[in-house]
Amino acid sequence: MNEPLTARDYKSDVHPVWCPGCGDFGILNALTKAMAARQLPPEHVALISGIGCSSRLPAYLTTYGFHGVHGRALPLATGLAVARPDLTVVAMGGDGDGFSIGGNHFMHACRRNVNMVYLVMDNAVYGMTKGQASPTTETDWTGSKLTPAGTHMPAFRPLEIALASGCAFVAREFSGNPNGLARRIDEALDYPGFAFIQVLSPCITYRPEQMGYKKIVHDDFEPTAVRTEAMARLLDDDGMTTGLLFKAPPAPWQGDPVPDRHRAPERVLRVGAAA
Amino acid sequence: MSELRQFLSHAVALETDAAERYDELHRAMDVHHNAEIAELFAQMAHYSRLHRAEARERAERAGGVLAIDPWAFEWGGGESPESAATEAVHYRMSAHDALAVALAAERSAHAFYAGVASTTSDAEVRALAEEFAEEEGGHAREIERWIERLPDEPDDVLGDLDPPMDVE
Amino acid sequence: MTTDIGTQPETAPAAPGTPSNTLSIAISGSGGAGVMTVGELLLDAAARAGLYGRMGRTFGPQIRGGEAAALLRLSSRPVEGVGDAYDLLVALDWGNIDRFADEIPLASDSRVLFEARAGEVPEIIARTGARLLEQPYGEIARGVRGGRSNLVVLGQLARILALDPEVVRDAVRGRFGGTAIDTALAVLDLGLDRAPPIDRPIKRSSAGATGGSTASLPPATPRWNLSGNQAAGLGALRGGVRFVAAYPITPATDLLEWLAVELPAVEGHLVQAEDELAAVNMCIGASFGGVPAMTATSGPGLALMLESVGLAVAAEVPMVIVDVMRGGPSTGIPTKSEQTDLDVAVHGLHGEAPHLVLAPLGVADCLFTTQWSVELAEALQVPALVLSDQSLAQSRLVVDEPPVRVSPATRRRAEAPGEGYRRYALTDDGVSPMAVPGTPGGMHVADGLTHDPRGRPSSRASDHSAQLDKRRDKLVGFDFGDAWGEVDGDGSLAVITWGSSTAAVREAAARLRASGRAVRTIALRLLSPLPVEALTRALDGVERAIVVEHNHSGQLHRQLRAAADWPCPLFAWHRPGPLPLRPGELVEVIDARLTACSPPEETPA
Repeated sequence: MNEPLTARDYKSDVHPVWCPGCGDFGILNALTKAMAARQLPPEHVALISGIGCSSRLPAYLTTYGFHGVHGRALPLATGLAVARPDLTVVAMGGDGDGFSIGGNHFMHACRRNVNMVYLVMDNAVYGMTKGQASPTTETDWTGSKLTPAGTHMPAFRPLEIALASGCAFVAREFSGNPNGLARRIDEALDYPGFAFIQVLSPCITYRPEQMGYKKIVHDDFEPTAVRTEAMARLLDDDGMTTGLLFKAPPAPWQGDPVPDRHRAPERVLRVGAAA
Repeated sequence: MSELRQFLSHAVALETDAAERYDELHRAMDVHHNAEIAELFAQMAHYSRLHRAEARERAERAGGVLAIDPWAFEWGGGESPESAATEAVHYRMSAHDALAVALAAERSAHAFYAGVASTTSDAEVRALAEEFAEEEGGHAREIERWIERLPDEPDDVLGDLDPPMDVE
Repeated sequence: MTTDIGTQPETAPAAPGTPSNTLSIAISGSGGAGVMTVGELLLDAAARAGLYGRMGRTFGPQIRGGEAAALLRLSSRPVEGVGDAYDLLVALDWGNIDRFADEIPLASDSRVLFEARAGEVPEIIARTGARLLEQPYGEIARGVRGGRSNLVVLGQLARILALDPEVVRDAVRGRFGGTAIDTALAVLDLGLDRAPPIDRPIKRSSAGATGGSTASLPPATPRWNLSGNQAAGLGALRGGVRFVAAYPITPATDLLEWLAVELPAVEGHLVQAEDELAAVNMCIGASFGGVPAMTATSGPGLALMLESVGLAVAAEVPMVIVDVMRGGPSTGIPTKSEQTDLDVAVHGLHGEAPHLVLAPLGVADCLFTTQWSVELAEALQVPALVLSDQSLAQSRLVVDEPPVRVSPATRRRAEAPGEGYRRYALTDDGVSPMAVPGTPGGMHVADGLTHDPRGRPSSRASDHSAQLDKRRDKLVGFDFGDAWGEVDGDGSLAVITWGSSTAAVREAAARLRASGRAVRTIALRLLSPLPVEALTRALDGVERAIVVEHNHSGQLHRQLRAAADWPCPLFAWHRPGPLPLRPGELVEVIDARLTACSPPEETPA
């Protein structure tokens, strides 16, 4: 008799090396809870990541995984999801991996709308390489040795970019609310297109002030299916609002043209063949 | 919450989440070579698993644990009440710090059960909720005594002497 | 294994009117004159008439209306490469011809047919000494409403070559549609009906034929007219590729476009990527999912992809990248050929990341080599770089229909992995079974981080060494069989070459043999791992070898010298693009080397 899988069953025997207090533990919890709620067979799930603390996550679960190179989780996941639509594909990484070096892939993955979930564990810092500013770091944060006077650049706005690029499932959650994130992941797994969830995930080592996130995060997004409304909602967003912001039917991924199985590829190459 | 199985399923989930969280902290402390605190959290996980087993047994007697989506539990917002708060942990935390985290979890669990007891319309549920609240209260007092027994710790004047490493 | 290209074109055509078995024709024009169309139609018509041939192109930097030339070589026997001088240049105008005049070498016995109203014959053409014959193409074309000179030229060339007119008409019908057909045929007839200023029928080869005109050729074996890019695409499909990621780059784009049409029919997928970084990673992802995957690019794109090629090496995920090389470095000369990426293909990965590098030896060989590369990549769980180049990719070649070779599925899969499955287990041959997602029990995380046999990241010396050894040994221990290269001829002088240079080298060697000099040619198809043993055996009896290649610094020569101690000295001869290697220049090079190394004559007392 098969006992149903518990969240714990999805955790591998590799112990996370994340600092105690790291928000990424919350994402790991949420993922395992969502998978347990759906009783996903671990062999049908593939977690695809880039480089960074958050990208270590695949090793901590009992599913398939690919720990790729920095910034390229989305194309890895795209190739897999297109070639193997039978699998459940979750791409993930940090804010540097996803919005800096991976920024171009982020926009185009939103446009392409291949069926997958993309989780960005956003701590507004490059943790793995010792605390540089990331695209989502505030303009005036002076905690990095690389930009000691602050970045002087406005922070990257991932939800706006996602909306502008055509993503039709846009949400923000908080690692300190793993049940809420689990629900969002569950919805995202149901969604037949590219589902993007930015997860605020404090870094205890380089951004210890983020331990106060719990007090300022507020679960106030009301989902809309009107893109202009969603965009307008973001105009004065403080970046700490969680919930499902936007959900609309996805533009179908291009799909392949209907194959004409009577066409042998050789036919155009023969001398005397019609073009 | 007025249904017995519903209530007991919450209790099981509460202890499951608590145990998972303590296990997670135990492993993380172990990886970070804080042996004393790793052991402490292992103990807390152990107790949570015992409590879970008890709650589970009662639930079985009442007809079995209900399958409830993690986000559908009525915790009153956020995580289940006995999940240790991760924003208060640190790899160099002391026993005082760790027990303070555990104490907060127990008090939160107590408050949850007390809340159910005072609002439920079901007599059986009320009785159980009062019993569980009492138990959690007892756990909290044990932890308080544990804290009292701890030796005084000197102030952490020197702080963290190991800078973070870049490993990848 | 050898392929029969056996051309022995005459180096200088005999007196006008005497048939020769090979003819080189250039057709030039600008501003939308349509010379490419004529060139393709002529090749098509020649092929239908039973001839072989090749067609290359040269053109200016404009997308439209620039100066352009169609460069053909037609023969009664299979040709592979370019010849030396052009027998015939047809010029519809002189637009910017000095930009590419050096790609159309003319000799004093060449003929130039040029538009009468095109103005003065440029000095660069006149000084070749070729005979100049004015033609009223434009005037003739005006005989049909909407007529164009280029189709008059087609008709004229058909007469010059003595092609069966109906065959030419069929070619035109195949090309134009709707109301255009009637106009096109009418203009064609204007050219066909006019007596040609010269005759150049192509002489048949000996067996059976009476040596008569082109028109009397009996139908031959089924033949194809294809470009190197198409051949590579077909090779990929036959090898089992069912996922392609595409980012356009000259001159690889039409390979990808061909696959975009053909893949859905075999239930494959093509995704247009946002850049090469995405393209290579999409392939890795698809391949991780168990689907053989491929992309195609050129030098600049390959450079972008290299980090991720290293990931595929480290994680042992197969894939194929076709690098259609072009003039380098950097943006280089996008529309010209050069064998300029060997160094980066073999050594361009950071760290030590052994992988496969192969190079097709000709246009048709793009099919075999790409197909073989897919099989090898899958069997060895490693990326394969296939070094094609612009001269192969964008030249059309008429070839005998290649044999169909069915590729076995070579990827070693873990179908029923049990407890403790080790993705990177240390096996005898270095190849460890791969569990593909969806397979119960085979869960693992593929990783670019150095790992232990289970795939867990490890920084231990023992794990690092073991995996480095594994990835090297699986390649060097593999039996690649006979297809590593092609050896022709005997002799104590060998010419070693690779990829597209093979055609010119072989033709030069054939000419030398025809004049009594023994020359051995060795064309390398497998470049990494370098087939040292096989090459050493091929050099048995060779006293000196010369490495001929189409680049500036002699990349293969350097790599050979670094790889082993060879049984004989290896000399180098190399020239960069954009001008192609020609058999005539190589005859001189090889001859000079032969002369230089001959025993000194006895000095008179």
